Amino acid sequence: MDFANLVAQLNAGTILPEGIIIATLLLVLVGDLIVGRTSSRWTPYVAIAGLLAAVVALYFQWNNPNSISFLGGFNSDSLSVIFRVIIALSAALTILMSVRYVEQSGTSLAEFLVILLTATLGGMFMAGADELVMTYVSFETLGISSYLLTGYMKRDPRSNEAALKYLLIGASSSAIFLYGISLLYGLSGGETRLTAITANILANNVDQSIGLLIALVFVIAGIAFKIAAVPFHQWTPDVYEGSPTPVVAFLSVGSKSAGFALAIRLLVSAFPAVSEQWHFVLAALAILSMLLGNVVALAQTSMKRLLAYSSIGQAGFVMIGLVLGTEAGYASMIFYLLIYLFMNLGGFACIILFTLRTGTDEISEYSGLYQKDPLLTLCLSVCLLSLGGIPPLAGFFGKLYLFWAGWQAGAYWLVLLGLITSVISIYYYIRVVKMMVVKEPEEMSEAVKNYPAVNWNLPGMRPLQVGVVFALVTTSLAGILSNPLFTLANNAVLLTPMLQPTITTIQPAPNPATPGYADLESETKEAIEG
Amino acid sequence: MELQYFLLLAAALFCIGIYGLVTSRNAIRVLMSIELLLNAVNINLMAFSNYLDPSGIKGQVFTVFVITIAAAEAAVGLAIVLSIYRNRDTVDMEQFNLLKW
Amino acid sequence: MNLADGVQIVSFGVLALMMLGAALGVVLLENIVYSAFLLGGVFISIAGLYILLNAGFVAAAQVLIYVGAVNVLILFGIMLVNKRQNFVPLRNAWVGKITTAAVCLGLFALLGTMVLATPWAISTAPVAGDTSTVVIGMHFFSDFLLPFELASVLLLMALIGAIVLARREFLPDALEREETQQPVLTLPERPRELASAAPGSPDRTLGTSPTQRNV
Repeated sequence: MDFANLVAQLNAGTILPEGIIIATLLLVLVGDLIVGRTSSRWTPYVAIAGLLAAVVALYFQWNNPNSISFLGGFNSDSLSVIFRVIIALSAALTILMSVRYVEQSGTSLAEFLVILLTATLGGMFMAGADELVMTYVSFETLGISSYLLTGYMKRDPRSNEAALKYLLIGASSSAIFLYGISLLYGLSGGETRLTAITANILANNVDQSIGLLIALVFVIAGIAFKIAAVPFHQWTPDVYEGSPTPVVAFLSVGSKSAGFALAIRLLVSAFPAVSEQWHFVLAALAILSMLLGNVVALAQTSMKRLLAYSSIGQAGFVMIGLVLGTEAGYASMIFYLLIYLFMNLGGFACIILFTLRTGTDEISEYSGLYQKDPLLTLCLSVCLLSLGGIPPLAGFFGKLYLFWAGWQAGAYWLVLLGLITSVISIYYYIRVVKMMVVKEPEEMSEAVKNYPAVNWNLPGMRPLQVGVVFALVTTSLAGILSNPLFTLANNAVLLTPMLQPTITTIQPAPNPATPGYADLESETKEAIEG
Repeated sequence: MELQYFLLLAAALFCIGIYGLVTSRNAIRVLMSIELLLNAVNINLMAFSNYLDPSGIKGQVFTVFVITIAAAEAAVGLAIVLSIYRNRDTVDMEQFNLLKW
Repeated sequence: MNLADGVQIVSFGVLALMMLGAALGVVLLENIVYSAFLLGGVFISIAGLYILLNAGFVAAAQVLIYVGAVNVLILFGIMLVNKRQNFVPLRNAWVGKITTAAVCLGLFALLGTMVLATPWAISTAPVAGDTSTVVIGMHFFSDFLLPFELASVLLLMALIGAIVLARREFLPDALEREETQQPVLTLPERPRELASAAPGSPDRTLGTSPTQRNV
């Protein structure tokens, strides 16, 4: 294989977005080394510009006919593109809110950005990894950088402790995941490409063996750790409470989306032989996550812990879409993640703002905030109500689509449970909102009484303001104008070849042979190309 | 020589690693247990590579990646242990209860 | 060119016994320094097993990286945190240990059954053997190029991150605090329960941590 031939086969253009992020990472790192501490004035904006450039590059990857690259190592199909966009956007929003937070804690910003960009890179590669080695290396890139980010406030014993717990639980879960992967390598007779594994497993007659089941269980343990599904959630509340809040925001959206992307790709392409079993296991995890996440959240007194448990519950809702295995199921899952990106990050931006001004994140300290800071109150209320699923807001439509898809696929119990737990979740979200807009001045908390004058001119406050307002606008408008996002999510599923065979085998209703379905497909293709 | 001998050995090492992971109170010993787990996986991969994929030896390549990442993980793990030791003056897992489980 | 079968079996047995014994020592011995040295024994026996599996290159990498780097790193870590300290014994700790041991034995039984019951597709292709280094190199620069490059980013980041976390920080006293007197390098949030560390426990040193001084 000569060099020119190899270059042609690699098809390296598909990782242009990741290449841009690596270039940005090096620029931030070297720029900070040369310029010194004053570089913190421009490094965050360089990082955000790089991430947005990556999103633009991803736009051109959409519906790429030649999506397989690196001899089967990476697949840049539409599914991976949309997940990579979600991860890159979550990192960009995280940087907006971390500038002030990191500055105020006296740590160096450039290294923080470098580690965060590496985590983003790991997540983006994980969303498209089509091969076992690539999956593992990107899984660990995301994991190890998350441990470092968690422990970044190194003089704080809580941050240390969170990092240690995250590291130990994360490393052991990734070792278990790796054991499952090694079994997969053995069962397929020495194959590492996901697309070839299934064929080999069938050829070797091990498709119903206990080995494949053990591999499945071990792999699901690794994935469930990443998406923080019960019973692999124990790290979540501690890590969320002890880590710097911007890191929590990234973990709850970026890292989690990467986990879902991995779950779809790995389970659909490598485990179709045990399809019933993994659907069953994931349904159980979804039920447990929805129940435990939402019920335990009721008892929380710290805002970060509240959002930790609520994010466990939200992961349960998203898993409904994964369990269904239908086209609408996958599409609703992507749609919900898109919306979740804005509303959850908006919520975290508000918490960061409140923390920076008052130095606390106790829920009781929020009482009476409306009279001191109406903008913050408005934004936090909108984001929390949207997370709970109150009608005109974006979250409502996300949940509606998820539950509708579930009802269509006949998963009645799952949908019913989802409805009940969303009602529970509305209760604890509203409790916070009610506390903030309380009228009487004497009910105001100490923190709010001493609330500093709203001043956006301090260094690093502007980006935070932009983040808060952006999240507020998108969360309120994405509900009414959700159609583009909706089409986007649907197209991402329609244009992904990997998801097509499972959809037709599991749900024969939209038969590809019928003219109506073919029309729909060609229409969408035209709509995308035009 | 049979493939199964190596796989059984790897399974045994994996279980010893799990035991160490759960019962150890010293944070550094927990890190050592994680290294045992990763080595068990490596034996698995190498055995599969030799018996099932002897000409492609992708398992050996995979093992090299796992060794690399294990080294990075150990370095990061010890850095975190050092920083917690500096603040708390202990490496006893039972004392790390500032955050409620 | 394999060794004769008998020699192979015997060396496998010796290496397996060495490995299992050393691994049990790692998790069971009281003294952590012994554990760390036994961990080196585990790594070396595994390198021997790799040679039995016709993988000289990986065996060398195992010795160089695991014994030469990881194990030495762990020993350094132990020396840096070497406070002679007897952990306060927990009541009924043995119940947990017995249960864990039982669970692990069960897991081993499960994995063993799986290993023996699965019909592995043993290949009869010629073994790469001595050319394996060349084959591995070919893999690194063709189908495993992407993970190879990503691993370099990962190592760079691990390097930076480990230094950031482990380095002793000079606390800049003159650092301007505009609106809060928050100590540097800590979370802005106040700790939820300062009393969560039980009185009388050895971690009274927590009181000197910057977070608590502030409150």
